[in-house]
Amino acid sequence: MKKGLVTALSVMMVAALAAGCSGNSGQENAANEGKAGSGSSGKKTELTFWGDWGGEGQKQFETMVDAFNKSQDKIHVKYVLQQDMITKFLTAATNGGAPDVLFWDRWRTSLYAPKNVLHPVDEYLTRDGISKDDFYSESLTELSHDNKLYGLPLTVDARALFYNKKLLDEAGLQPPATWDELEQAAAKLTKWNGDKLEVAGFSMGDLGLFNMYLQQAGGQMLTEDGKTNFNNEQGKQVLEFWDRLMNKDKVYKVGFELGLGEGQDAFVTGKVAMLYSGPWMLSTYNKYGKDLEYGIVPPPAGPNGDKGSVMGGFGLVIPEGSKHHDEAWEFIKWWTANKDNALLWAKTSLNLPGFKPSMEDPFFQDDPQWKPFLDTLEFAKIRPAHPGYSVMETDALAPNLQLNQQNKLSIEDTLKKAQEQGDKMLEDNAVVK
Amino acid sequence: MASMRKVERHEARTAYVFITPTVLLFAVFTVIPVVMALYLSFTNYDVLSRNDWVGLENYRRLIDDSLLWKTFKNVFLYSIIFVPLNIIISLLLSMLLSRAWRGVKLFRTFYYLPTLTSAVAAATVWIWLLHPEFGLVNGLLSYVGITGPAWLSETSTAMLSIVMLTLWQSVGSNMIIYLAGLQGVPDYLYESARLDGANKWASFRYITWPQLRPTTFLVSTMAIIGALQLFDQAFVLTQGGPANVTKTPVYLIYQQGFNQLQMGYASAQAFVLAVAILIFSLINMRVSKAEESII
Repeated sequence: MKKGLVTALSVMMVAALAAGCSGNSGQENAANEGKAGSGSSGKKTELTFWGDWGGEGQKQFETMVDAFNKSQDKIHVKYVLQQDMITKFLTAATNGGAPDVLFWDRWRTSLYAPKNVLHPVDEYLTRDGISKDDFYSESLTELSHDNKLYGLPLTVDARALFYNKKLLDEAGLQPPATWDELEQAAAKLTKWNGDKLEVAGFSMGDLGLFNMYLQQAGGQMLTEDGKTNFNNEQGKQVLEFWDRLMNKDKVYKVGFELGLGEGQDAFVTGKVAMLYSGPWMLSTYNKYGKDLEYGIVPPPAGPNGDKGSVMGGFGLVIPEGSKHHDEAWEFIKWWTANKDNALLWAKTSLNLPGFKPSMEDPFFQDDPQWKPFLDTLEFAKIRPAHPGYSVMETDALAPNLQLNQQNKLSIEDTLKKAQEQGDKMLEDNAVVK
Repeated sequence: MASMRKVERHEARTAYVFITPTVLLFAVFTVIPVVMALYLSFTNYDVLSRNDWVGLENYRRLIDDSLLWKTFKNVFLYSIIFVPLNIIISLLLSMLLSRAWRGVKLFRTFYYLPTLTSAVAAATVWIWLLHPEFGLVNGLLSYVGITGPAWLSETSTAMLSIVMLTLWQSVGSNMIIYLAGLQGVPDYLYESARLDGANKWASFRYITWPQLRPTTFLVSTMAIIGALQLFDQAFVLTQGGPANVTKTPVYLIYQQGFNQLQMGYASAQAFVLAVAILIFSLINMRVSKAEESII
């Protein structure tokens, strides 16, 4: 009797375990069949669109998706929020669960495109007569690999100089246009109370902006053949400039802004007078900065008048694993290569659209908050399209810059070490095929 | 005799039935993945497009991966500070709280509470506490005339800050384990020691500490494993910075595997970490004489 009970119990447990393991795949199969069924019945084609924007961002995506669904009756798109999108895509790309449209951080293209998981769109572009001149060429380069284009830009952004109008007025200053003016203004705006920093004249919190300063000094991060290119006169100029700001003018203190976000943001509360920031911060500043009056100018030019900023942003791509490449392209084209729709997207999400004709709208041209970004985008450059670039920047360059900022490494040694370690990381991460 | 063997057989069968679910789960979710990872560490697997045998290539690359060895140095340094402090503080707390005095349950709860908070939420709060100008810690220090450092942003204090946070989070649960261990020390040992004229220190030195050896072994082993696998707190507090002084092997393995899609190489790194954990656990076993009986 007892034995029977034990056997029955164990059989149940094993069965439950087995069911638990296979439950997932069962569901997925059912979902796939459902999708295929609705597609072949001659009705609307169902598209899945993955993104990792939740909250406000999700609403903005859904506004666009709804507008597209209403604009025609052949394709129906559904937005699916994937918190951990890239990891999910890694597994989905090869096992048949790939979405039809993917929200894409453009710099990832150089790593993913060689692995044949994205579908090239050049033929569609030619077929539909879409001109590449309508997009920033840098943003298209970032979406390309081996002369093939893998999607269209949805947003573009670049950092410009934000300044607190009130603080500058009080000090009788004009927004800076050169490194020298920036240094003088920052020194004048900084307020110390004993050894306590009360107002930082200029934010030096993000050393990842080295790339941007290097461009302003007339340099470039990488050489043509994929090696680091900052252990030179230009790199030295950047670090000497930083050294003056940190140690001579003392406009900043390490860790000053750490953990201050949203309502306590150091710029919103007037604790930082000037900083490099991008259009993505506009809504935060407008929301929390009731008393904050700020202006924006393009980044100040370096010693030889060179201008520089780093262009980034998102695109839309079609995974190779999608079964509806053509329909996915229709959706992407509607959203990113149509003046009205790209403008609707821009107004909904407060992003600069990737489509240039939309930016001719008064919404951008007549707004003092947007105009400086448009000017900056004219000279902004993307990060080098090397699959090891981000590792080099965060693991080789930034750590040495931090040591330098804390006066633990000389300028010469910083550049030399960053070069040695950086070149090795570029090499180790270069092969992606 | 025959009936005896029958009972034993029956017992054995029942035992196997009872451990089957656990062993199955262990096999499916631990043994198989480990074996697969070992295989992957000899390939150039990238999840998406390739999975070719490359022999010892990944392990050769490990040798001059200076960043990997730097992360190992970081967690060793962390362990050397964290593990002894963890044992000392949780043992002291448990001895304070093992006696029945008014409000003792309240204090037990207080000391245990940090364990219940999520690592990420707690780390976020600690970022504020440790802010150089507006944080509570430096605010208190300034009352006694000390200018506190930028705890999380300076190379000399970043790791120390992580030690503080993780100690705060982990002493609670170890205190509970020690409390249970203290309950198991027989009273008659103390009584006879008192009769022999032993003072408090002597009875701790010769009774409590040796009697707690299995407990200390458990606590220290878990602490060492946890320390070598440090990730979330370091990730939230400092993102591995400044200057890579708080970057940990697990962080690097994740980055190599999921961001750079070099799953094969990441698996090789993971195996080095596993071997390191094994070695340190064995050393710890020797040091705490875990196999000898306690009386």
